[in-house]
Amino acid sequence: MVNRMSADRLRSLPLWTVPLALGVLVVFLPRFVSDFSVIRQVQLALILALLVSGLNLSLGYAGELALGQTAMYAGGAYAAGLLSRHGHTEILLQLLVAVAAALVIGVVSGVPGLRLGSWSLAMTSFFLVFLVGDVLAIFNSETGGRNGLSGIASPTLFGGMLAPNDYFALIAVVTLLWFVVMRNIVVSRHGNAFLVLKQSPVLAASMGISVFRMKLMAYALGAVPAGLAGVLFANLDLYVSPDQFTFSTATTILAASILGGSASVYGAVVGAFILQFGLNQSSDYQRYSLLVTGVFLLIGGVLLTGGLAGLARDLSRRFVLRPAQTSAADGSAEIRIPPVPGRVLRVEGVSKAFGGNRALSDVDLLAHPGRITALIGPNGSGKTTLLNMVCGFYRTDSGAIRLDDRELQRLGPDRVARAGITRTFQTPNIPAGITVLEAVTAGRFTAHRATVLESALRLPRYRRLRREDVAEAERVLEAVGISNLRDSRADSLPLGQRRLLEVARGLIRNPAVLLLDEVASGLDEHEVERLAAVIRGVRDAGGTVLLVEHNFQLVLALADEIVALARGQVMAHGTPAEIENNPRVLSEYLGIDPDEQADGAAVLADLVTEPGGDR
Amino acid sequence: MTLIWGGLALGAVYAMVAVGYNIVYIASRTFNFAHAQLMMMGAFIAYSSLVSWDLPWVLALLLAGVVVGAIAAVEERLAIRPVRDTHNILVTTLGAATIMDGAAQLIWGSQPLRVPFVAGEDAISVLGGRVRPVELTLIGVAILLVLVLVLISRRSLIGLALLGMAEDREAAQLRGVNVRATAFGAFVVAGVLAGLLGVFVGPKTFAVATLGAALALKGFVALAIGGFGSMPGTLVGGLLVGLAEAYAARYLGGEYANLTVFVILIAVLLIRPAGLFVRAKERVV
Repeated sequence: MVNRMSADRLRSLPLWTVPLALGVLVVFLPRFVSDFSVIRQVQLALILALLVSGLNLSLGYAGELALGQTAMYAGGAYAAGLLSRHGHTEILLQLLVAVAAALVIGVVSGVPGLRLGSWSLAMTSFFLVFLVGDVLAIFNSETGGRNGLSGIASPTLFGGMLAPNDYFALIAVVTLLWFVVMRNIVVSRHGNAFLVLKQSPVLAASMGISVFRMKLMAYALGAVPAGLAGVLFANLDLYVSPDQFTFSTATTILAASILGGSASVYGAVVGAFILQFGLNQSSDYQRYSLLVTGVFLLIGGVLLTGGLAGLARDLSRRFVLRPAQTSAADGSAEIRIPPVPGRVLRVEGVSKAFGGNRALSDVDLLAHPGRITALIGPNGSGKTTLLNMVCGFYRTDSGAIRLDDRELQRLGPDRVARAGITRTFQTPNIPAGITVLEAVTAGRFTAHRATVLESALRLPRYRRLRREDVAEAERVLEAVGISNLRDSRADSLPLGQRRLLEVARGLIRNPAVLLLDEVASGLDEHEVERLAAVIRGVRDAGGTVLLVEHNFQLVLALADEIVALARGQVMAHGTPAEIENNPRVLSEYLGIDPDEQADGAAVLADLVTEPGGDR
Repeated sequence: MTLIWGGLALGAVYAMVAVGYNIVYIASRTFNFAHAQLMMMGAFIAYSSLVSWDLPWVLALLLAGVVVGAIAAVEERLAIRPVRDTHNILVTTLGAATIMDGAAQLIWGSQPLRVPFVAGEDAISVLGGRVRPVELTLIGVAILLVLVLVLISRRSLIGLALLGMAEDREAAQLRGVNVRATAFGAFVVAGVLAGLLGVFVGPKTFAVATLGAALALKGFVALAIGGFGSMPGTLVGGLLVGLAEAYAARYLGGEYANLTVFVILIAVLLIRPAGLFVRAKERVV
């Protein structure tokens, strides 16, 4: 009985207590272990873990392979070494200056590479590593060039000398603190935004998140642990040389990251320890190190998507944690949409050509608050182009897009989104591995900001915003009637519920305009009905709804106003009744020739009652 | 002029690497980090054949082409084909590159090895500058290579199929192009080319285990300047990089050579991210 109670109490402890306890244990390791070589390996592994965690921020969380950690590491190490040679042995000062130096290297190298992403960033950051030796050689007189920087004095803390055991504790404490910070960033609104970014840059931008700034932030944040690692390393051997900051350092960091799992906090530690200990045990390490690292990269990249941390997560999901609750939505839940501050969307004379292909010419469209405006048209009529233009993904060639009086046509997608345009996607775009509640709160990331520092240290403003996030998310989930799913895995929901989730994610942003892209496609009758009820609710709450839809029947039933596009031009606009009887719409959109068919409307009725006839 | 010859020859090497990146990129929209390492292997094989085994030059060329082509085939099967998430290809091909670096170090050591050239080492005077036969050959081979590839891509069926694949894989597949086989073929051809070219590159750069990394970076800069997918672009980009490096080393000092190339890369990425020879495309959702 007592046993069970304590077991229950143990289970109710938050998960982060385990790594924290382990971390504290490591701080006191020298009291239990006296073998010098083991202690040294642990120190090097901790330093490597810092470097790996920095890489994880950009590779695992922002989804960009950047190998510049080694250069930032060198920056930190040399900053510490030079400070020490000039008499500043205070380690806290060195840590501060080194982090600043590493940040500068990170930002300067990140800006150009991140503009293009993927290979460009990988290559520019790799090039940075290549330059370490050259830069040190240029400042030969200060850095000792290729011979290395010697004569670094022993570090001091608050003016007092540090014994070897104290220095070990210092390394462990700095590492531990960084991992607390890192964990807090990852498990936070920022971490959530990173997941959105990783899911899709298009999604991030349409939620108001600036893709470039977010990636730069992740990459630059990665500089912080690299700078710390540099100081700790320089003061460990009291000697640094360019040979310690090479390609093989960079590939070792990458291999440890891949092995441990890039999208994880503690995977960095696991990967670092495995590489440090596993490889250094064999006496031939020096000869085979490159080969082994390469094999790790190859195998890791092919087999271990998610690394060891991913494996552990899969296992724990299967055996330990309860399976996600995915009970069907309670169909009778009442829909009560709170007031939505809709605004007028005006598309005026918009034209767009791709090369010689005129996708849109002189299109007008007006969407009012409290009304559902539908945009219909056959494939290739320009619906999607117009939608992407409103959202800021394409530039207009001419014409204006206004939200009330504000012109949007020159803004990028993230700024358009921040102006109040909110959209859903034809194929629901939902980050993997988070709960419904988290997926919805991500919608509030840009409108209600907390700084990284506030997130990392869990300052009061962060806590308040977080509480509001949850309250708001519960409110909109309730509104669309899926509050019973709040703790389910968002990406494993059935299609209909994922669509509702997207609507909820839009509503939490108090959208000026809600754009729904093919929102009914692939849904069954009940799901369509339910969705229609939610959309009507949004309209009645004062929202501006723009529906881009293929399902003609749904449009007729739902819209207050319909704009029909054909070949990039507005063919007709009016009430559903007007559109239903418009002969051009019948011939263009439904392929019915009004001359041949005396009673076009009857045929139309036949067509649209066929479930999913069009798709 | 001597300086210009040296720079152009170096640039020709970078252009050759960039051409290799491009072939793979056009065929499979992937980036083979390890392409420069393949060329490095070619240089090492040339050394072993010519110096250690004293084989005739033609045989060395043949051997390098065949062996490196085989290595490329293995790389495609292990590091590219089985990767599901295309993001990981950067990681796996970097892994392949590291393995080749490690293997080269293990087999040939870490000292630079001098690879002899078939036409000898005696510099000759051309247009007022001294130039080694291998340097002239490199420049000529690079130009010839780009010319031939441009012709192939415009005139032959396989070239058109490749361009079609680069444009839209699915559409190409529907037109009867065996996308997988073609991509594999292109990868192996790029490998064979890398091996053959390695025999020419070795005499200029020495065969050394760090050659791959240096060539990979400079080749990438050549590609970035010329634009992804553009064959003439790689030639111009490569020669520019080579000249810039030669001039920086001569007038600023050896340690400024790489830095200069890096500055050029950053400038190009900031000012014309799509490269000089490729028109920027609008983003598509």
